[in-house]
Amino acid sequence: MLLNYLASIARFTPEIILVVTMIGLLFVESTYSNDAKGSKKGYLYATAYLGLLFTLVKLIGSLGDAPGGIFTNALTIDPFSTLAKIIMVIGTGASIYLSRRSDDIYDKLKGEFAIIAIGVLIGGMLLASANNMLMLYIGIETLSILSYVLASLKKNDDRSSEAGLKYSLYGGISAGIMLFGMSHIFGVVGTIQFAGIVDKIQALDTMQVAILMPSFLMFFAGIGYKIACVPFHMWAPDVYEGSPLPVTTFFSIVPKIAGIAVLVRVTMTFFGGDTSALQMTWVGSLSVIAALTMTVGNVSAIGQRSVKRMLAYSSISHAGMMMMGVVCLSEIGVTGIIFYGITYLFMTLVAFFITSFVQDEYGNDHFERFNGLITKHPLMAIFMIMTMFSLAGIPPFSGFVAKFNIFNALIDKDFYVLAIIAGMNSVVAIYYYLKIVRLMVFKSSESEEKVSGFGFTNQLVIAILTVPVLVLGIFWENIIVVANGAKIFIQ
Amino acid sequence: MVSLPSFLVVSLILFLAGIAVMIARKNVIAILLGIELILNAAALNFAAYTRFINNNLDGHVMSLFIIVIAAAEAAVGLAIVIRFYQIRESIHIDDATQLQS
Repeated sequence: MLLNYLASIARFTPEIILVVTMIGLLFVESTYSNDAKGSKKGYLYATAYLGLLFTLVKLIGSLGDAPGGIFTNALTIDPFSTLAKIIMVIGTGASIYLSRRSDDIYDKLKGEFAIIAIGVLIGGMLLASANNMLMLYIGIETLSILSYVLASLKKNDDRSSEAGLKYSLYGGISAGIMLFGMSHIFGVVGTIQFAGIVDKIQALDTMQVAILMPSFLMFFAGIGYKIACVPFHMWAPDVYEGSPLPVTTFFSIVPKIAGIAVLVRVTMTFFGGDTSALQMTWVGSLSVIAALTMTVGNVSAIGQRSVKRMLAYSSISHAGMMMMGVVCLSEIGVTGIIFYGITYLFMTLVAFFITSFVQDEYGNDHFERFNGLITKHPLMAIFMIMTMFSLAGIPPFSGFVAKFNIFNALIDKDFYVLAIIAGMNSVVAIYYYLKIVRLMVFKSSESEEKVSGFGFTNQLVIAILTVPVLVLGIFWENIIVVANGAKIFIQ
Repeated sequence: MVSLPSFLVVSLILFLAGIAVMIARKNVIAILLGIELILNAAALNFAAYTRFINNNLDGHVMSLFIIVIAAAEAAVGLAIVIRFYQIRESIHIDDATQLQS
Protein backbone atom coordinates (compact mmCIF):
# COMPACT_ATOMS: atom_id res chain seq x y z
CA MET A 1 0.00 0.00 0.00
CA LEU A 2 2.70 2.45 1.05
CA LEU A 3 4.81 1.55 -1.96
CA ASN A 4 1.80 2.14 -4.17
CA TYR A 5 1.43 5.65 -2.80
CA LEU A 6 5.12 6.37 -3.21
CA ALA A 7 4.93 5.23 -6.83
CA SER A 8 1.86 7.45 -7.30
CA ILE A 9 3.67 10.45 -5.87
CA ALA A 10 6.57 9.83 -8.24
CA ARG A 11 4.18 10.09 -11.19
CA PHE A 12 2.48 13.14 -9.68
CA THR A 13 5.63 15.31 -9.60
CA PRO A 14 4.53 17.91 -12.21
CA GLU A 15 1.55 18.91 -10.11
CA ILE A 16 3.60 18.82 -6.89
CA ILE A 17 6.22 21.09 -8.43
CA LEU A 18 3.47 23.55 -9.37
CA VAL A 19 1.99 23.52 -5.85
CA VAL A 20 5.44 24.19 -4.39
CA THR A 21 5.94 26.98 -6.94
CA MET A 22 2.63 28.54 -5.97
CA ILE A 23 3.50 28.50 -2.27
CA GLY A 24 6.98 29.79 -3.05
CA LEU A 25 5.50 32.64 -5.08
CA LEU A 26 3.40 33.68 -2.10
CA PHE A 27 6.55 33.96 0.01
CA VAL A 28 8.53 35.74 -2.68
CA GLU A 29 5.66 38.18 -3.21
CA SER A 30 5.62 38.99 0.51
CA THR A 31 9.29 40.04 0.46
CA TYR A 32 8.47 43.04 -1.71
CA SER A 33 7.19 46.24 -0.16
CA ASN A 34 3.52 47.06 -0.45
CA ASP A 35 3.78 49.64 -3.21
CA ALA A 36 6.42 47.86 -5.29
CA LYS A 37 5.70 47.77 -9.00
CA GLY A 38 4.60 44.38 -10.24
CA SER A 39 6.64 44.51 -13.42
CA LYS A 40 9.80 45.11 -11.38
CA LYS A 41 9.42 41.95 -9.30
CA GLY A 42 12.19 40.03 -11.07
CA TYR A 43 12.55 37.25 -8.50
CA LEU A 44 8.82 36.55 -8.53
CA TYR A 45 8.77 36.04 -12.27
CA ALA A 46 12.01 34.05 -12.15
CA THR A 47 10.41 31.69 -9.61
CA ALA A 48 7.27 31.32 -11.69
CA TYR A 49 9.14 30.62 -14.93
CA LEU A 50 11.50 28.21 -13.17
CA GLY A 51 8.59 26.23 -11.71
CA LEU A 52 6.79 26.11 -15.03
CA LEU A 53 9.99 25.10 -16.82
CA PHE A 54 10.63 22.23 -14.39
CA THR A 55 7.04 21.09 -14.83
CA LEU A 56 7.36 21.24 -18.60
CA VAL A 57 10.62 19.24 -18.58
CA LYS A 58 9.12 16.69 -16.23
CA LEU A 59 5.99 16.36 -18.39
CA ILE A 60 7.93 15.98 -21.63
CA GLY A 61 10.16 13.41 -19.95
CA SER A 62 7.14 11.36 -18.88
CA LEU A 63 5.55 11.30 -22.34
CA GLY A 64 6.90 7.86 -23.13
CA ASP A 65 5.95 6.25 -19.81
CA ALA A 66 3.44 3.44 -19.67
CA PRO A 67 -0.06 4.76 -18.93
CA GLY A 68 -1.60 3.91 -15.61
CA GLY A 69 -3.80 5.04 -12.77
CA ILE A 70 -2.37 6.62 -9.64
CA PHE A 71 -3.77 7.19 -6.13
CA THR A 72 -6.11 4.17 -6.30
CA ASN A 73 -7.13 5.12 -9.84
CA ALA A 74 -8.36 8.57 -8.86
CA LEU A 75 -6.16 10.04 -11.59
CA THR A 76 -4.99 8.62 -14.89
CA ILE A 77 -1.59 9.49 -16.26
CA ASP A 78 -1.55 8.73 -19.98
CA PRO A 79 0.03 10.39 -23.02
CA PHE A 80 -3.22 12.20 -23.80
CA SER A 81 -3.42 13.92 -20.43
CA THR A 82 0.31 14.67 -20.50
CA LEU A 83 0.03 16.37 -23.89
CA ALA A 84 -2.98 18.40 -22.71
CA LYS A 85 -0.96 19.43 -19.65
CA ILE A 86 1.99 20.49 -21.82
CA ILE A 87 -0.32 22.75 -23.84
CA MET A 88 -1.72 24.29 -20.65
CA VAL A 89 1.73 24.88 -19.09
CA ILE A 90 2.98 26.68 -22.21
CA GLY A 91 -0.20 28.76 -22.30
CA THR A 92 0.19 29.75 -18.65
CA GLY A 93 3.83 30.71 -19.08
CA ALA A 94 3.03 32.92 -22.05
CA SER A 95 0.08 34.54 -20.24
CA ILE A 96 2.29 35.34 -17.24
CA TYR A 97 4.82 36.95 -19.60
CA LEU A 98 2.05 39.00 -21.19
CA SER A 99 0.68 40.02 -17.78
CA ARG A 100 4.08 41.47 -16.87
CA ARG A 101 4.29 43.54 -20.05
CA SER A 102 0.65 44.59 -20.32
CA ASP A 103 -0.76 47.84 -18.92
CA ASP A 104 -4.20 46.28 -18.56
CA ILE A 105 -3.52 44.85 -15.09
CA TYR A 106 -2.82 47.16 -12.15
CA ASP A 107 0.89 47.18 -11.53
CA LYS A 108 0.47 46.23 -7.87
CA LEU A 109 -1.58 43.15 -8.73
CA LYS A 110 0.73 41.65 -11.33
CA GLY A 111 2.26 39.29 -8.79
CA GLU A 112 -1.18 38.03 -7.87
CA PHE A 113 -1.92 37.21 -11.49
CA ALA A 114 1.08 34.87 -11.61
CA ILE A 115 0.09 33.14 -8.35
CA ILE A 116 -3.57 32.64 -9.23
CA ALA A 117 -2.79 31.61 -12.80
CA ILE A 118 -0.61 28.78 -11.52
CA GLY A 119 -3.46 27.77 -9.20
CA VAL A 120 -5.84 27.60 -12.17
CA LEU A 121 -3.24 25.56 -14.02
CA ILE A 122 -3.15 23.02 -11.17
CA GLY A 123 -6.93 22.70 -11.42
CA GLY A 124 -6.68 22.23 -15.17
CA MET A 125 -4.06 19.51 -14.78
CA LEU A 126 -6.22 17.66 -12.25
CA LEU A 127 -9.14 17.93 -14.66
CA ALA A 128 -7.12 16.63 -17.62
CA SER A 129 -6.28 13.41 -15.78
CA ALA A 130 -9.39 13.03 -13.61
CA ASN A 131 -10.58 9.45 -13.48
CA ASN A 132 -13.41 9.67 -10.99
CA MET A 133 -16.22 12.09 -10.35
CA LEU A 134 -14.68 13.52 -7.19
CA MET A 135 -11.47 14.52 -8.98
CA LEU A 136 -13.52 15.88 -11.86
CA TYR A 137 -15.54 18.07 -9.49
CA ILE A 138 -12.48 19.23 -7.56
CA GLY A 139 -10.65 19.99 -10.80
CA ILE A 140 -13.55 21.99 -12.22
CA GLU A 141 -14.00 23.96 -9.02
CA THR A 142 -10.28 24.69 -8.56
CA LEU A 143 -10.30 25.93 -12.12
CA SER A 144 -13.50 27.96 -11.71
CA ILE A 145 -13.15 29.55 -8.28
CA LEU A 146 -9.71 30.93 -9.07
CA SER A 147 -10.94 32.04 -12.50
CA TYR A 148 -13.64 34.19 -10.87
CA VAL A 149 -10.89 36.01 -8.98
CA LEU A 150 -8.87 36.45 -12.16
CA ALA A 151 -11.85 37.85 -14.06
CA SER A 152 -12.38 40.58 -11.46
CA LEU A 153 -8.67 41.25 -10.99
CA LYS A 154 -9.03 44.89 -12.09
CA LYS A 155 -10.93 45.59 -8.96
CA ASN A 156 -11.78 49.27 -9.37
CA ASP A 157 -13.02 48.81 -12.91
CA ASP A 158 -16.76 48.27 -13.20
CA ARG A 159 -16.49 46.12 -16.30
CA SER A 160 -14.00 43.75 -14.72
CA SER A 161 -15.99 43.30 -11.51
CA GLU A 162 -19.13 42.75 -13.56
CA ALA A 163 -17.28 40.08 -15.56
CA GLY A 164 -16.29 38.36 -12.32
CA LEU A 165 -19.86 38.55 -11.04
CA LYS A 166 -21.34 37.03 -14.19
CA TYR A 167 -18.67 34.36 -14.31
CA SER A 168 -19.21 33.31 -10.71
CA LEU A 169 -23.01 33.21 -11.00
CA TYR A 170 -23.03 31.19 -14.24
CA GLY A 171 -20.24 28.98 -12.90
CA GLY A 172 -22.02 28.26 -9.64
CA ILE A 173 -25.28 27.40 -11.37
CA SER A 174 -23.70 25.04 -13.88
CA ALA A 175 -21.53 23.35 -11.24
CA GLY A 176 -24.66 22.78 -9.15
CA ILE A 177 -26.57 21.30 -12.05
CA MET A 178 -23.61 19.09 -12.92
CA LEU A 179 -23.43 17.79 -9.35
CA PHE A 180 -27.14 17.03 -9.28
CA GLY A 181 -26.71 14.98 -12.45
CA MET A 182 -23.67 13.24 -10.99
CA SER A 183 -25.53 12.34 -7.83
CA HIS A 184 -28.18 10.45 -9.81
CA ILE A 185 -25.53 8.72 -11.93
CA PHE A 186 -23.91 7.66 -8.67
CA GLY A 187 -27.25 6.45 -7.37
CA VAL A 188 -27.85 4.24 -10.39
CA VAL A 189 -24.38 2.82 -10.98
CA GLY A 190 -23.21 2.83 -7.35
CA THR A 191 -19.67 4.11 -7.78
CA ILE A 192 -17.85 7.30 -8.60
CA GLN A 193 -14.96 5.55 -10.38
CA PHE A 194 -15.17 5.93 -14.15
CA ALA A 195 -13.99 2.33 -14.64
CA GLY A 196 -16.82 1.02 -12.45
CA ILE A 197 -19.38 3.17 -14.26
CA VAL A 198 -18.31 1.71 -17.62
CA ASP A 199 -18.99 -1.82 -16.40
CA LYS A 200 -22.40 -0.88 -15.08
CA ILE A 201 -23.74 1.00 -18.10
CA GLN A 202 -23.25 -2.01 -20.37
CA ALA A 203 -26.35 -3.67 -18.95
CA LEU A 204 -29.17 -1.37 -17.89
CA ASP A 205 -32.92 -1.78 -17.69
CA THR A 206 -35.35 0.78 -19.10
CA MET A 207 -35.95 2.42 -15.73
CA GLN A 208 -32.24 3.03 -15.20
CA VAL A 209 -31.83 4.41 -18.72
CA ALA A 210 -34.70 6.79 -18.05
CA ILE A 211 -32.91 8.16 -14.99
CA LEU A 212 -29.45 8.20 -16.56
CA MET A 213 -30.36 10.07 -19.75
CA PRO A 214 -31.30 13.40 -18.14
CA SER A 215 -28.54 12.87 -15.56
CA PHE A 216 -25.86 12.64 -18.22
CA LEU A 217 -27.24 15.76 -19.91
CA MET A 218 -27.02 17.63 -16.58
CA PHE A 219 -23.50 16.25 -16.12
CA PHE A 220 -22.62 17.66 -19.51
CA ALA A 221 -23.78 21.13 -18.41
CA GLY A 222 -20.79 21.50 -16.09
CA ILE A 223 -18.24 20.46 -18.69
CA GLY A 224 -19.98 22.39 -21.46
CA TYR A 225 -19.83 25.54 -19.40
CA LYS A 226 -16.03 25.27 -19.11
CA ILE A 227 -15.70 24.79 -22.87
CA ALA A 228 -18.31 27.54 -23.49
CA CYS A 229 -20.33 25.50 -25.97
CA VAL A 230 -23.64 26.79 -27.13
CA PRO A 231 -26.42 26.59 -24.59
CA PHE A 232 -23.90 27.54 -21.89
CA HIS A 233 -21.86 30.11 -23.82
CA MET A 234 -23.63 33.32 -22.76
CA TRP A 235 -21.02 34.16 -20.16
CA ALA A 236 -18.05 33.83 -22.50
CA PRO A 237 -18.16 37.04 -24.58
CA ASP A 238 -19.01 39.20 -21.56
CA VAL A 239 -16.34 37.68 -19.35
CA TYR A 240 -13.72 37.74 -22.09
CA GLU A 241 -14.47 41.39 -22.84
CA GLY A 242 -14.62 42.54 -19.24
CA SER A 243 -11.49 40.79 -18.01
CA PRO A 244 -8.08 42.34 -18.45
CA LEU A 245 -6.45 41.18 -21.68
CA PRO A 246 -3.81 38.82 -20.23
CA VAL A 247 -6.63 37.15 -18.29
CA THR A 248 -8.65 36.76 -21.48
CA THR A 249 -5.63 35.16 -23.14
CA PHE A 250 -5.36 32.78 -20.22
CA PHE A 251 -9.10 31.98 -20.22
CA SER A 252 -9.17 31.15 -23.89
CA ILE A 253 -6.42 28.56 -23.44
CA VAL A 254 -6.24 26.81 -20.08
CA PRO A 255 -9.90 26.25 -19.03
CA LYS A 256 -10.84 25.50 -22.62
CA ILE A 257 -8.16 22.86 -23.19
CA ALA A 258 -8.86 21.33 -19.77
CA GLY A 259 -12.58 21.17 -20.56
CA ILE A 260 -11.97 19.57 -23.95
CA ALA A 261 -9.58 17.07 -22.36
CA VAL A 262 -12.12 15.99 -19.75
CA LEU A 263 -14.87 15.83 -22.37
CA VAL A 264 -12.71 13.55 -24.52
CA ARG A 265 -11.90 11.33 -21.57
CA VAL A 266 -15.51 11.06 -20.39
CA THR A 267 -16.81 10.36 -23.89
CA MET A 268 -14.13 7.84 -24.80
CA THR A 269 -14.32 6.02 -21.46
CA PHE A 270 -18.09 5.81 -21.17
CA PHE A 271 -19.20 5.58 -24.77
CA GLY A 272 -16.12 4.48 -26.70
CA GLY A 273 -16.94 0.82 -27.04
CA ASP A 274 -20.51 -0.35 -26.93
CA THR A 275 -23.58 0.88 -28.75
CA SER A 276 -26.20 1.52 -26.11
CA ALA A 277 -29.17 3.85 -25.88
CA LEU A 278 -27.05 6.18 -23.76
CA GLN A 279 -24.36 6.38 -26.40
CA MET A 280 -26.90 7.57 -28.94
CA THR A 281 -28.16 10.26 -26.57
CA TRP A 282 -24.70 11.50 -25.64
CA VAL A 283 -23.14 11.45 -29.11
CA GLY A 284 -26.30 12.78 -30.75
CA SER A 285 -26.55 15.76 -28.42
CA LEU A 286 -22.79 16.34 -28.67
CA SER A 287 -22.90 16.54 -32.45
CA VAL A 288 -25.85 18.95 -32.42
CA ILE A 289 -24.12 21.07 -29.79
CA ALA A 290 -20.83 21.03 -31.71
CA ALA A 291 -22.53 22.20 -34.90
CA LEU A 292 -24.47 24.91 -33.04
CA THR A 293 -21.36 26.06 -31.16
CA MET A 294 -19.41 26.58 -34.37
CA THR A 295 -22.24 28.36 -36.12
CA VAL A 296 -23.23 30.66 -33.27
CA GLY A 297 -19.60 31.52 -32.53
CA ASN A 298 -18.82 32.38 -36.11
CA VAL A 299 -22.01 34.28 -36.90
CA SER A 300 -21.79 36.37 -33.71
CA ALA A 301 -18.14 37.20 -34.37
CA ILE A 302 -19.02 39.01 -37.61
CA GLY A 303 -20.64 42.13 -36.19
CA GLN A 304 -18.20 42.86 -33.37
CA ARG A 305 -16.34 46.17 -33.00
CA SER A 306 -13.89 45.03 -30.34
CA VAL A 307 -11.11 42.69 -31.44
CA LYS A 308 -11.07 41.06 -28.00
CA ARG A 309 -14.75 40.23 -28.26
CA MET A 310 -14.28 38.96 -31.81
CA LEU A 311 -11.49 36.66 -30.60
CA ALA A 312 -13.77 35.49 -27.79
CA TYR A 313 -16.45 34.42 -30.27
CA SER A 314 -13.80 32.88 -32.51
CA SER A 315 -12.55 30.81 -29.58
CA ILE A 316 -16.12 29.57 -29.06
CA SER A 317 -16.21 28.41 -32.66
CA HIS A 318 -12.81 26.73 -32.32
CA ALA A 319 -14.14 24.86 -29.30
CA GLY A 320 -17.00 23.67 -31.52
CA MET A 321 -14.46 22.45 -34.06
CA MET A 322 -12.59 20.50 -31.38
CA MET A 323 -15.88 18.99 -30.19
CA MET A 324 -16.43 17.64 -33.71
CA GLY A 325 -13.37 15.49 -33.10
CA VAL A 326 -14.94 14.17 -29.90
CA VAL A 327 -18.09 13.11 -31.73
CA CYS A 328 -16.10 10.72 -33.93
CA LEU A 329 -15.29 8.43 -30.97
CA SER A 330 -12.18 7.30 -32.80
CA GLU A 331 -8.45 7.53 -32.29
CA ILE A 332 -8.06 9.71 -35.38
CA GLY A 333 -10.46 12.13 -33.71
CA VAL A 334 -8.36 12.27 -30.55
CA THR A 335 -5.21 12.82 -32.59
CA GLY A 336 -6.97 15.62 -34.44
CA ILE A 337 -8.05 17.25 -31.17
CA ILE A 338 -4.53 17.19 -29.71
CA PHE A 339 -3.08 18.65 -32.90
CA TYR A 340 -5.83 21.28 -32.98
CA GLY A 341 -5.07 22.13 -29.35
CA ILE A 342 -1.38 22.64 -30.07
CA THR A 343 -1.98 24.90 -33.07
CA TYR A 344 -4.84 26.74 -31.32
CA LEU A 345 -2.47 27.53 -28.44
CA PHE A 346 0.07 29.32 -30.62
CA MET A 347 -2.46 31.06 -32.88
CA THR A 348 -4.40 32.41 -29.90
CA LEU A 349 -1.24 33.56 -28.14
CA VAL A 350 0.06 35.52 -31.13
CA ALA A 351 -3.32 37.13 -31.81
CA PHE A 352 -3.80 38.17 -28.19
CA PHE A 353 -0.20 39.36 -27.71
CA ILE A 354 -0.41 41.74 -30.68
CA THR A 355 -3.92 42.91 -29.72
CA SER A 356 -2.72 43.54 -26.19
CA PHE A 357 0.15 45.83 -27.17
CA VAL A 358 -2.03 47.70 -29.65
CA GLN A 359 -4.68 48.16 -26.97
CA ASP A 360 -2.13 49.42 -24.43
CA GLU A 361 -1.07 52.10 -26.90
CA TYR A 362 -4.50 53.41 -27.91
CA GLY A 363 -6.64 52.66 -24.87
CA ASN A 364 -9.15 50.43 -26.65
CA ASP A 365 -9.13 47.45 -28.96
CA HIS A 366 -11.52 48.49 -31.70
CA PHE A 367 -10.81 47.27 -35.21
CA GLU A 368 -9.79 50.75 -36.40
CA ARG A 369 -6.80 50.70 -34.08
CA PHE A 370 -5.17 48.21 -36.41
CA ASN A 371 -5.36 50.63 -39.36
CA GLY A 372 -2.10 50.84 -41.22
CA LEU A 373 -0.15 48.70 -38.81
CA ILE A 374 1.88 47.37 -41.71
CA THR A 375 3.55 50.72 -42.36
CA LYS A 376 4.36 51.26 -38.69
CA HIS A 377 5.39 47.75 -37.67
CA PRO A 378 5.72 45.62 -40.80
CA LEU A 379 7.03 42.56 -38.99
CA MET A 380 4.25 42.51 -36.39
CA ALA A 381 1.62 43.09 -39.07
CA ILE A 382 2.98 40.17 -41.10
CA PHE A 383 2.86 37.92 -38.03
CA MET A 384 -0.71 39.02 -37.36
CA ILE A 385 -1.65 38.33 -40.99
CA MET A 386 -0.11 34.87 -40.78
CA THR A 387 -2.00 34.14 -37.59
CA MET A 388 -5.30 35.37 -39.03
CA PHE A 389 -4.81 33.20 -42.14
CA SER A 390 -4.02 30.30 -39.87
CA LEU A 391 -7.08 30.89 -37.65
CA ALA A 392 -9.24 31.02 -40.78
CA GLY A 393 -7.72 27.73 -41.93
CA ILE A 394 -5.92 28.82 -45.09
CA PRO A 395 -2.97 26.67 -46.19
CA PRO A 396 0.02 26.48 -45.73
CA PHE A 397 -0.48 27.53 -42.10
CA SER A 398 -1.01 25.19 -39.18
CA GLY A 399 -4.70 26.04 -38.76
CA PHE A 400 -5.38 24.39 -42.11
CA VAL A 401 -3.70 21.12 -41.12
CA ALA A 402 -5.55 21.14 -37.82
CA LYS A 403 -8.92 21.58 -39.53
CA PHE A 404 -7.94 18.99 -42.14
CA ASN A 405 -7.31 16.40 -39.42
CA ILE A 406 -10.72 16.97 -37.88
CA PHE A 407 -12.36 16.70 -41.34
CA ASN A 408 -10.43 13.51 -41.91
CA ALA A 409 -11.79 12.02 -38.70
CA LEU A 410 -15.35 13.15 -39.53
CA ILE A 411 -15.32 11.67 -43.04
CA ASP A 412 -13.72 8.49 -41.77
CA LYS A 413 -16.83 7.94 -39.64
CA ASP A 414 -19.24 9.10 -42.37
CA PHE A 415 -20.43 12.24 -40.57
CA TYR A 416 -20.89 14.09 -43.85
CA VAL A 417 -23.48 16.58 -42.53
CA LEU A 418 -21.15 17.72 -39.75
CA ALA A 419 -18.28 18.01 -42.22
CA ILE A 420 -20.38 20.21 -44.50
CA ILE A 421 -21.44 22.43 -41.60
CA ALA A 422 -17.82 22.76 -40.51
CA GLY A 423 -16.79 23.63 -44.05
CA MET A 424 -19.42 26.33 -44.41
CA ASN A 425 -18.37 27.76 -41.06
CA SER A 426 -14.78 28.05 -42.25
CA VAL A 427 -16.00 30.25 -45.09
CA VAL A 428 -17.84 32.53 -42.66
CA ALA A 429 -14.75 32.68 -40.46
CA ILE A 430 -12.57 33.88 -43.33
CA TYR A 431 -14.69 37.05 -43.56
CA TYR A 432 -14.06 38.39 -40.08
CA TYR A 433 -10.46 37.25 -39.80
CA LEU A 434 -9.55 38.88 -43.07
CA LYS A 435 -11.25 42.11 -41.96
CA ILE A 436 -8.29 42.76 -39.66
CA VAL A 437 -5.88 41.92 -42.48
CA ARG A 438 -7.67 44.37 -44.77
CA LEU A 439 -7.56 47.16 -42.17
CA MET A 440 -3.88 46.57 -41.46
CA VAL A 441 -2.79 46.52 -45.08
CA PHE A 442 -5.08 48.84 -47.02
CA LYS A 443 -6.18 51.53 -44.55
CA SER A 444 -3.87 54.31 -43.52
CA SER A 445 -3.63 55.11 -39.85
CA GLU A 446 -4.52 58.45 -38.27
CA SER A 447 -1.18 58.96 -36.58
CA GLU A 448 2.37 57.99 -37.39
CA GLU A 449 3.11 57.20 -33.75
CA LYS A 450 4.69 53.81 -33.21
CA VAL A 451 3.26 51.31 -30.74
CA SER A 452 5.57 51.58 -27.76
CA GLY A 453 4.80 48.05 -26.59
CA PHE A 454 6.58 46.54 -29.56
CA GLY A 455 10.05 46.69 -28.03
CA PHE A 456 12.77 44.27 -29.04
CA THR A 457 12.01 41.63 -26.37
CA ASN A 458 8.29 41.62 -27.04
CA GLN A 459 8.84 41.38 -30.78
CA LEU A 460 11.22 38.48 -30.20
CA VAL A 461 8.69 36.62 -28.04
CA ILE A 462 5.94 37.17 -30.61
CA ALA A 463 8.30 35.94 -33.33
CA ILE A 464 9.10 32.79 -31.34
CA LEU A 465 5.38 32.14 -30.84
CA THR A 466 4.71 32.69 -34.55
CA VAL A 467 7.27 30.13 -35.69
CA PRO A 468 5.06 27.12 -34.80
CA VAL A 469 2.08 28.70 -36.58
CA LEU A 470 4.03 28.44 -39.83
CA VAL A 471 6.23 25.42 -39.12
CA LEU A 472 3.42 23.17 -37.90
CA GLY A 473 1.62 23.85 -41.16
CA ILE A 474 4.52 22.55 -43.23
CA PHE A 475 6.32 19.94 -41.13
CA TRP A 476 3.19 18.60 -39.48
CA GLU A 477 4.01 14.91 -39.79
CA ASN A 478 6.34 15.01 -36.77
CA ILE A 479 3.72 16.48 -34.49
CA ILE A 480 1.10 14.08 -35.83
CA VAL A 481 3.37 11.22 -34.77
CA VAL A 482 3.49 12.67 -31.25
CA ALA A 483 -0.27 13.29 -31.25
CA ASN A 484 -0.87 9.77 -32.52
CA GLY A 485 0.76 8.45 -29.38
CA ALA A 486 -1.84 10.34 -27.31
CA LYS A 487 -3.98 7.34 -26.62
CA ILE A 488 -6.63 7.47 -23.96
CA PHE A 489 -5.95 4.89 -21.30
CA ILE A 490 -9.11 3.05 -20.32
CA GLN A 491 -8.99 0.63 -17.44
CA MET B 1 -38.68 4.37 8.77
CA VAL B 2 -37.64 7.04 6.34
CA SER B 3 -36.96 5.51 2.95
CA LEU B 4 -34.92 6.53 -0.06
CA PRO B 5 -37.79 8.08 -2.07
CA SER B 6 -38.52 10.62 0.66
CA PHE B 7 -34.91 11.81 0.57
CA LEU B 8 -35.04 12.02 -3.22
CA VAL B 9 -38.26 14.04 -3.10
CA VAL B 10 -36.75 16.47 -0.60
CA SER B 11 -33.64 16.90 -2.69
CA LEU B 12 -35.70 17.38 -5.85
CA ILE B 13 -37.73 20.08 -4.07
CA LEU B 14 -34.49 21.77 -2.96
CA PHE B 15 -33.15 21.62 -6.51
CA LEU B 16 -36.31 23.08 -8.03
CA ALA B 17 -36.43 25.75 -5.36
CA GLY B 18 -32.85 26.69 -6.18
CA ILE B 19 -33.63 26.95 -9.89
CA ALA B 20 -36.76 28.99 -9.15
CA VAL B 21 -34.82 31.38 -6.90
CA MET B 22 -32.21 31.92 -9.58
CA ILE B 23 -34.80 32.64 -12.22
CA ALA B 24 -37.17 34.76 -10.15
CA ARG B 25 -34.99 36.81 -7.84
CA LYS B 26 -32.96 39.75 -9.11
CA ASN B 27 -30.83 40.15 -6.02
CA VAL B 28 -27.32 38.74 -6.41
CA ILE B 29 -27.17 37.48 -2.82
CA ALA B 30 -30.44 35.63 -3.36
CA ILE B 31 -28.99 34.01 -6.48
CA LEU B 32 -25.98 32.87 -4.46
CA LEU B 33 -28.44 31.37 -1.96
CA GLY B 34 -30.14 29.55 -4.83
CA ILE B 35 -26.77 28.07 -5.86
CA GLU B 36 -26.27 26.84 -2.30
CA LEU B 37 -29.69 25.17 -2.40
CA ILE B 38 -28.75 23.29 -5.57
CA LEU B 39 -25.41 22.17 -4.14
CA ASN B 40 -27.12 20.97 -0.97
CA ALA B 41 -29.67 19.04 -3.01
CA ALA B 42 -26.79 17.20 -4.69
CA ALA B 43 -25.03 16.56 -1.37
CA LEU B 44 -28.22 15.18 0.14
CA ASN B 45 -28.66 12.89 -2.86
CA PHE B 46 -25.15 11.51 -2.49
CA ALA B 47 -25.61 10.85 1.21
CA ALA B 48 -29.02 9.23 0.73
CA TYR B 49 -27.94 6.98 -2.12
CA THR B 50 -24.88 5.81 -0.23
CA ARG B 51 -26.95 5.11 2.90
CA PHE B 52 -29.74 3.12 1.23
CA ILE B 53 -28.29 1.48 -1.87
CA ASN B 54 -24.55 1.35 -2.18
CA ASN B 55 -23.15 1.15 1.34
CA ASN B 56 -19.72 2.39 0.29
CA LEU B 57 -17.87 5.51 1.35
CA ASP B 58 -17.90 7.22 -2.05
CA GLY B 59 -21.09 9.15 -1.45
CA HIS B 60 -20.07 10.40 1.99
CA VAL B 61 -16.74 11.62 0.64
CA MET B 62 -18.51 13.42 -2.19
CA SER B 63 -20.95 15.12 0.22
CA LEU B 64 -18.11 16.32 2.44
CA PHE B 65 -16.20 17.74 -0.51
CA ILE B 66 -19.33 19.43 -1.84
CA ILE B 67 -19.81 21.20 1.51
CA VAL B 68 -16.18 22.34 1.63
CA ILE B 69 -16.09 23.56 -1.96
CA ALA B 70 -19.48 25.28 -1.64
CA ALA B 71 -18.05 27.31 1.25
CA ALA B 72 -15.04 28.33 -0.83
CA GLU B 73 -17.26 29.27 -3.74
CA ALA B 74 -19.57 31.33 -1.55
CA ALA B 75 -16.58 33.19 -0.07
CA VAL B 76 -15.22 34.16 -3.48
CA GLY B 77 -18.70 34.96 -4.78
CA LEU B 78 -19.45 37.27 -1.87
CA ALA B 79 -16.09 39.01 -2.23
CA ILE B 80 -16.92 39.75 -5.86
CA VAL B 81 -20.40 40.96 -4.89
CA ILE B 82 -18.83 43.38 -2.39
CA ARG B 83 -16.55 44.80 -5.10
CA PHE B 84 -19.54 45.13 -7.39
CA TYR B 85 -21.53 46.91 -4.70
CA GLN B 86 -18.72 49.37 -3.95
CA ILE B 87 -18.49 50.32 -7.60
CA ARG B 88 -22.16 50.29 -8.64
CA GLU B 89 -23.86 50.85 -5.24
CA SER B 90 -26.39 48.17 -6.06
CA ILE B 91 -26.56 44.38 -5.96
CA HIS B 92 -29.39 44.17 -8.45
CA ILE B 93 -28.55 41.85 -11.34
CA ASP B 94 -30.25 44.21 -13.80
CA ASP B 95 -27.59 46.82 -13.02
CA ALA B 96 -24.90 44.59 -14.50
CA THR B 97 -25.30 46.05 -17.96
CA GLN B 98 -21.87 47.35 -18.88
CA LEU B 99 -20.99 44.28 -20.92
CA GLN B 100 -23.54 43.81 -23.65
CA SER B 101 -23.10 43.67 -27.36
